[in-house]
Amino acid sequence: MILLIFGISCKKNSTATIAFYYWKSGFQLNSQQVALVQQTALNQVYIRFFDVNWNKEQHRAYPNAVVLFSQPLGGLHITPVIYIANKTFENSSDMTIDSLAIHCNILVNRLAGEQHMTYTRVQVDCDWSLTTRDKYFSFLSAFKKLNHHQLQATIRLHQVKYKERTGIPPVDRGVLMFYNMGKLNADLHQPNSIYNEADAAKYVSYLKAYPLPLDLALPLFSWSVQLRDNKVIQVYGKIGRTQLNNPGDFETVAGENNYRARRSFFLAGIYVKQNDVFKLEETTANSLNTAAKQLAENLPKQQNRTIIYYELANIDLSEFNAETFKQVSDHF
Amino acid sequence: MLTIAGVAWACADEGYDLLAYSAFAPEYFVNKQYSPFFYEGDRAYYNEYNNDNDDANTRYNESVVTEWYDHFNRQFEKSPLAFLLLKAGPGAIDSAYRNYKGTLTKKQVSAFFNYLQLAKKCEAFTVNDQYSSWEKVRPLPVPEGLESTLLGAFDEETDPFIKERLWFQLVRYYYFRESGETADSQSLAIFNKYSGQFPKDLTYYRAMGYVAGYYYHRKNYALSNYLYSLGYDYAYEMKIPSKWSFHPQEEKDWKATLQMAKTGNEKITLWHMLGMQYDAGRAIKEIAAINPKSDKLDLLLSRVINIREAEGFEWTPGINDSLKRGDGNDKHLIEIIASKNNTAKPYFWNLAAGYLNFLDSNYTAAGKFYAAAKKQLPAADRRVMAQYKLLDLMLYVKKLKRIDARVEAQLVEPLNWLADLRDNKTKVNDLRFEKALGECADGIAKLYHQQKEPIKSTCFKNAINFYLDSARVENLINLLNKPDKTPFERVMARYYPYKVDDLYQHQATLLVYKEELDKAISYLKKMKPGHLTLPGNPFNSRLNDCHDCDHEAPQAQKFTLLSFVQTLQCIKVEMKAGKHVYRNALLLANAYYNITYYGNARLFYESNIMSNSDAYPTFIDAKYRDKFTAMKFAARYYQYALKNAATNEQRASCTFMLSKCERNVYYNHKYAEASRSKGYYYGNELPPAGKYFAALKSKYAGTAYYREVLQECGYFKHYISKK
Repeated sequence: MILLIFGISCKKNSTATIAFYYWKSGFQLNSQQVALVQQTALNQVYIRFFDVNWNKEQHRAYPNAVVLFSQPLGGLHITPVIYIANKTFENSSDMTIDSLAIHCNILVNRLAGEQHMTYTRVQVDCDWSLTTRDKYFSFLSAFKKLNHHQLQATIRLHQVKYKERTGIPPVDRGVLMFYNMGKLNADLHQPNSIYNEADAAKYVSYLKAYPLPLDLALPLFSWSVQLRDNKVIQVYGKIGRTQLNNPGDFETVAGENNYRARRSFFLAGIYVKQNDVFKLEETTANSLNTAAKQLAENLPKQQNRTIIYYELANIDLSEFNAETFKQVSDHF
Repeated sequence: MLTIAGVAWACADEGYDLLAYSAFAPEYFVNKQYSPFFYEGDRAYYNEYNNDNDDANTRYNESVVTEWYDHFNRQFEKSPLAFLLLKAGPGAIDSAYRNYKGTLTKKQVSAFFNYLQLAKKCEAFTVNDQYSSWEKVRPLPVPEGLESTLLGAFDEETDPFIKERLWFQLVRYYYFRESGETADSQSLAIFNKYSGQFPKDLTYYRAMGYVAGYYYHRKNYALSNYLYSLGYDYAYEMKIPSKWSFHPQEEKDWKATLQMAKTGNEKITLWHMLGMQYDAGRAIKEIAAINPKSDKLDLLLSRVINIREAEGFEWTPGINDSLKRGDGNDKHLIEIIASKNNTAKPYFWNLAAGYLNFLDSNYTAAGKFYAAAKKQLPAADRRVMAQYKLLDLMLYVKKLKRIDARVEAQLVEPLNWLADLRDNKTKVNDLRFEKALGECADGIAKLYHQQKEPIKSTCFKNAINFYLDSARVENLINLLNKPDKTPFERVMARYYPYKVDDLYQHQATLLVYKEELDKAISYLKKMKPGHLTLPGNPFNSRLNDCHDCDHEAPQAQKFTLLSFVQTLQCIKVEMKAGKHVYRNALLLANAYYNITYYGNARLFYESNIMSNSDAYPTFIDAKYRDKFTAMKFAARYYQYALKNAATNEQRASCTFMLSKCERNVYYNHKYAEASRSKGYYYGNELPPAGKYFAALKSKYAGTAYYREVLQECGYFKHYISKK
């Protein structure tokens, strides 16, 4: 009985906060996006400041797609995010890791300074592997020493399940990326690779034993996978049901989410070849709720969890609204 | 050698080297103008790191210098001209002007230098050499005041050559100032107002490129793409940027662009551009219907072939039979066009149709098209003839069912040719022969293997199991040493990757593991002197196995393979004669220990032939693993030394060495187990302490050696403390 009451009261008083990622390189919000951020997220936005990629020609790491602020940040509370391609660590020598950390710290602070922005934490996103683990972790340690703010790192599900092998990054907080759980493939009957309960189930039981406090990253995106001759060609966020639901151009095959091109043509800058199949993978308010429920049942208790939605620039406001986000938060 | 494909994979910076999968050189069939777009995996441009045309800041430099050079009727020397145009700053230009002593008129010279000063001002905002960098990107402001200066100069200029260039500068100036943000573009207006006055040359098309860019910003993709296609067609220098910018968005844009094409050739360029980026087959069909002789077909055909090669290639070395089939549509189309024989290079189409069938394992059809091509080949074109020969040879080998003397006679010439190419004894530029070399040798080896001719098979494809049978190896040695080889035997020797000395060494080492030292010595003596030296003293032992320590330790005597085995033999003879039995038995034991995986002389068995045997025991072929890891000889001699020892110190040391052998036997068992299950063994659990630890503890606890063991060996210390 006591437990039951505790359970109910917990739901009513969610301590979770909401935030959004902004991943495009030009930062500009429209009025609807501004309103959403104000109403649901207390103005919290995690902005991707830049990528770090490996430059093959010059054999060194360089920033890429550095964010360009096209409007003042107003009252937004910004958390800078750095995305580092794993290739960077595959190719960098141990000797250059410290200087990479110095460069990243200077660039984050320069971009923040130009916007007169203060921040209290930095997030680093890198899908590290066994071979890059040591270099990535020493990067994080070096960065933390220079930057002094709270340091967060994204954590993929496989890194939770195989934490003994993949290691725990030396950061203050992890951000569990609860999407992209299946492999992209050409199988038309494969469940949604962005989120599906069955694939997630293989990992979630390991969450309780994960030693870092975890915030959550949840998906708001949909995409379609372009297949040609049973091979994956590309993935497009800009091709959705609106573009595919066009009987003159496409016919559905093997279920309502697979569309085969009747002819060759251009669509939104993409060349569609006759017989290409677009496999649509959508995230809906419903699937988001399922994901949240599954997570809540498996995560250890934690106060003040932040739920960061990916992402704001391409959000479909007809599918997701303030009510959706409130419902999701209520699970935590 | 036969491993050339493997080398190519290893060298590739990223992805795979095209020589690993491609045997078809586009260079021989396609106009060089299109070479940036030859297919090369995920690279943006063919040979991109050597392609200076991929740099927006420099791609027109050479043309600009040539244009001025011609403008001055070659009366201005080229290198100072290039310096002034491409490198000089305002000061250098000024000084060059004041000091000019050439034959040009004063008017010509001052017009040039005035233009130059203006052009440099324009470069300040158009030449952007800031690539990815951690530094802040400098904005390149477009100076407002430059507008009137440029307009003034343009109005006053009477020389049409310079006037055209000032017009170009104005179009570009406005383009940069407007950044596509205004519908009422002065860039477009000035282009349109004067475009009729100037010749349709590179400067004209470069100016038009900015107009195309303007339309792109205004989302008029149809017109933008059409203009880019004109630039693409006009000049080599414009091909990369035009192709880069050509992006139809929606189908209606593409259809509208096609409608704008005024001539068949313009339509062909559009389809060509669609073909190289999106759909070569569809484009080939459209272009062939307009003009089957168009050279814009050639690039697309080469891309179909090279892409098909890459898609079909099995990236696991050694597996060549699971080639994937293409979708068939493009191949069918190419067969139809080839059969019509109405293109500019019918042999190209017949070779392509044949090779695409070859890649689909349709060898009969491949042969038919090659036969048609053969009659059409340009006999004087050495490179095309080499390409034909390569494809024909690959097909010939694929079609073989068995190899007899007649076939061998036919293979002598082409196999020597391939080996000559490999050895740089002959050169055909750009010929992609590596894949053919590997595939032909593999195919031939496979047939010989089926025919149960192991020596021939091994010559073409080395197989480690061959060397287990010493009689077979002896026959191979005889073949390689044979003075009067037949022509085919000479071919075999060229394809065999090792030297006779490698075989001698191999035979000798295996004999040592059989304790046949006399025979081993006789093989080693046949080797040329100067062969390798063992890095550590193979007669020493130590408590812990530390190869690096042994290798670094000062050594009074260095052993070669020969001197090592000879010493081994002497010690054995002495021991058998009853002299210094304990000491000699210990030396023999140490030596036999050291020439295993566990000892300091692994180099002993790491011959060229046994390459890779230095790796983990799991990776050593099972049939050799036993020899290179076995403890039986070492253990036998340690036992013998123990039996003949005079003091407890000596006995303690023999006992401890025997405990090492005992543990290694346990490891060997684990490695074998892991190898059978295709897994690994990391040695992460401790082996049982065994009977020699027990003996050491119970019998020799009073010795100094015992205390040394306790000091050095944590496991023994642990063992003692536990009991």
